[in-house]
Amino acid sequence: MRQMTKLALAAVVAGVTAGAAIAQELYAPNLAYRTGPFAATGIPLMNGQADYLSMLNARDGGVGGIPVNAEECETGYSTEKGVDCDEKTKGKAIVTQPWSTGITLQVLPKTNVDEIPILAPGYGFSPMMDGKTFQWAFNAPSGYWDAADMIVQYLEGKDGDLSGKKIVHLHLDHPYGKEPLPVLEALAAAKGFELLPIPVGLKEMQNQSAQWLQIRRERPDYVIMWGWGAMNAGAITEAVKTKFNMENFIGVWWAGHDADLKLVGAEGKGYKSISWSFPNPDAPVMADIKKHVVDMGKSQSNPEEMSGVFYSRGIVISAILAEGITAAQDHFGTAEINASQLRWGLENINMTEERISELGLDGMVPPFSTSCANHTGNSGGWMLEWDGDKFVKVSDLLTPNTDGYADLVADKAAEYATSNAPWPMNEECSAES
Amino acid sequence: MLYRTAGQFKTSYKSDQALFPIKQDAFLLGIIGLFVLAIFPLTASEFAFQTMLIPVMIYALAALGLNILTGYAGQLSLGTGAFMGVGAYACYKMVTLMPWMNPLVAILLSGVFSAGVGVLFGIPSLRIKGFYLAIATLAAQFFLVWLFEKWAWLYNYNASGAIQVPNLTVFGGYVTGPQADSIVQYYVVLGIVALMTMLCINLTRGNLGRTWKATRDMDIAAELIGINLMKSKLTAFAISSYIVGVAGALYVFMWKGAAEPNLFDIPLSFQVLFIAIIGGLGSVLGNYLGAILIVGLPVVLNLVPATLGLAISSAMVEHLNIMIVGSLIVFFLIVEPHGLNQLWRLIREKLIIWPFPH
Repeated sequence: MRQMTKLALAAVVAGVTAGAAIAQELYAPNLAYRTGPFAATGIPLMNGQADYLSMLNARDGGVGGIPVNAEECETGYSTEKGVDCDEKTKGKAIVTQPWSTGITLQVLPKTNVDEIPILAPGYGFSPMMDGKTFQWAFNAPSGYWDAADMIVQYLEGKDGDLSGKKIVHLHLDHPYGKEPLPVLEALAAAKGFELLPIPVGLKEMQNQSAQWLQIRRERPDYVIMWGWGAMNAGAITEAVKTKFNMENFIGVWWAGHDADLKLVGAEGKGYKSISWSFPNPDAPVMADIKKHVVDMGKSQSNPEEMSGVFYSRGIVISAILAEGITAAQDHFGTAEINASQLRWGLENINMTEERISELGLDGMVPPFSTSCANHTGNSGGWMLEWDGDKFVKVSDLLTPNTDGYADLVADKAAEYATSNAPWPMNEECSAES
Repeated sequence: MLYRTAGQFKTSYKSDQALFPIKQDAFLLGIIGLFVLAIFPLTASEFAFQTMLIPVMIYALAALGLNILTGYAGQLSLGTGAFMGVGAYACYKMVTLMPWMNPLVAILLSGVFSAGVGVLFGIPSLRIKGFYLAIATLAAQFFLVWLFEKWAWLYNYNASGAIQVPNLTVFGGYVTGPQADSIVQYYVVLGIVALMTMLCINLTRGNLGRTWKATRDMDIAAELIGINLMKSKLTAFAISSYIVGVAGALYVFMWKGAAEPNLFDIPLSFQVLFIAIIGGLGSVLGNYLGAILIVGLPVVLNLVPATLGLAISSAMVEHLNIMIVGSLIVFFLIVEPHGLNQLWRLIREKLIIWPFPH
């Protein structure tokens, strides 16, 4: 027993010293999941992220002249392994990319102690928008509450009045699926529609016949879905089977994976998903990735995957990180930034239309900017629709009406801070907002 | 040679029945104690604390609790994860309802709740045995996890449905929550785990332990010689669930820091069961050996390629890890079907009679 633990300690010591010897670089580890039950959705995202950063490393020698080391640490979407990875990487990491709501929940309370920013684009805890409370957490460009608001806006734009309508919120029975409920409830009260939450247990993800039976009985006007992994494919096939009108079925951005829709092909026509990213094969960045990464044989992706929504979202996520790094480098006048400098950078991202096309991301992400008080940016998004073969944009840029839940953000953030007292606030920031 | 017992004379019953009748055992324990009390905590990095030292002890404690029930009293249980959850949620409710409460007291008291729930779900054991009982405890597993999800009072109506450990102090120092230092948490866990282990060793050596073993080996015979089966089985459920509940409270408060209901789902029960089986049913030491193999080893294996400078992708490392740990489990079970504890016992026995084996 002793020997084994000694061996373990020796390995740890060796690991730490080996790490310290590496030359100048920005260490931005990614808690990836290419194994486990959610691997199918994880792989395209991770490939997109990795390919964008390897493209920057190959084309520009990294960000600001320093290569980015985007090492992956495999979590298999397990919270336990995620914490292992976090502990393993946090010694020299400048950012934590937790990639699961469970891991985010574990890492978030420790941010004030570790002082490493969390970058959780489009996921995590919605009140993270409040940058005064959550100094170290970022969920740019858009959060779940934005998504809920935009979906309701879209439905309103399509149908006019929503009063008297019935909307089912089909969600994973997990912190992630419950996230938008407060906003949806508030909107239901304000607009007079009936909200019916239907949870799908983690064990029932692949067999949702009970839930869809209930949906058939309830005859809702719309079904909105907060699903992930196997749940999406399960819901979409079940909807097709029960002949639910796909036009009235709308998912959040994580429920818009091309592979899930390819299962049903043309029968899934009309299914929608709100999204803050869009695959644009003609964008200059795609050509650069092809030239510097794919053609060099450094990509793990394939052409079919690269044309999908999730791969391009991975690119956008890495682009946001790179923008944060650039902002910090410019401000602090040093290429080799540390974690707290990156925090400043992520707080001062300004993705204007010009900047987006300068980066070659035309049409792939809506413009947004973050500030020390607003860590989300509320970029808004587009409604995408499955045309039987791929996702296409069917709306102009929708922007969330954040005033509607600003109080809710403040309340929930304050609640979090009190239950985790002592929780330091960013006082310097209070002048704004 | 190393384990020569010649010259160690027992002149009274008391010394013959001592916890360590052989001097070398006590000496060995002293060395382990030195490592655990001083050398590990003083040399370990944050990573070693969080991924090896603390979890190994907590898992070992949970397996110890299960071992009381399954290994000593012979009642198969698949509900360990849920009972850990009961301990964790009870502890969370106590510290949030009564913030003045000492967190260590709360952790020790949380086991009382899981003991109550354990006894409740142990009642069917009076009529059913073996696999049938396993299914009854499986029902507890599903029911309790469902309850953790649906009963919003348990997680204080938190929108995300998860519990977050608050920062709590004992004598002015943080012991739980993100502000706590790993080394403090390590010593707290060590203290509680050592206390529980001592309790278990003595319980299983005493009257109650003998009653359990009799129940396990043949319940009809046990009943015929005058053992009250109801008392025997229900005390096993109560004590086992108490320890498992304390382990659950430690799991969330001293290690994870936050928990969602599905954390306590069946994979956790299986993991604890694996530890107990690979360590050896009906042993105390085995739980620690099992926990080191199942919890500690994968972490170490994950570090090997990076240490050797091999460029293997992290997903590949994970796949290899699963294969290596899996084959090690198979290997150990072939070499010694009764678990690592039995392996150690045989080695020790051989050492005692060495160099003259019969």
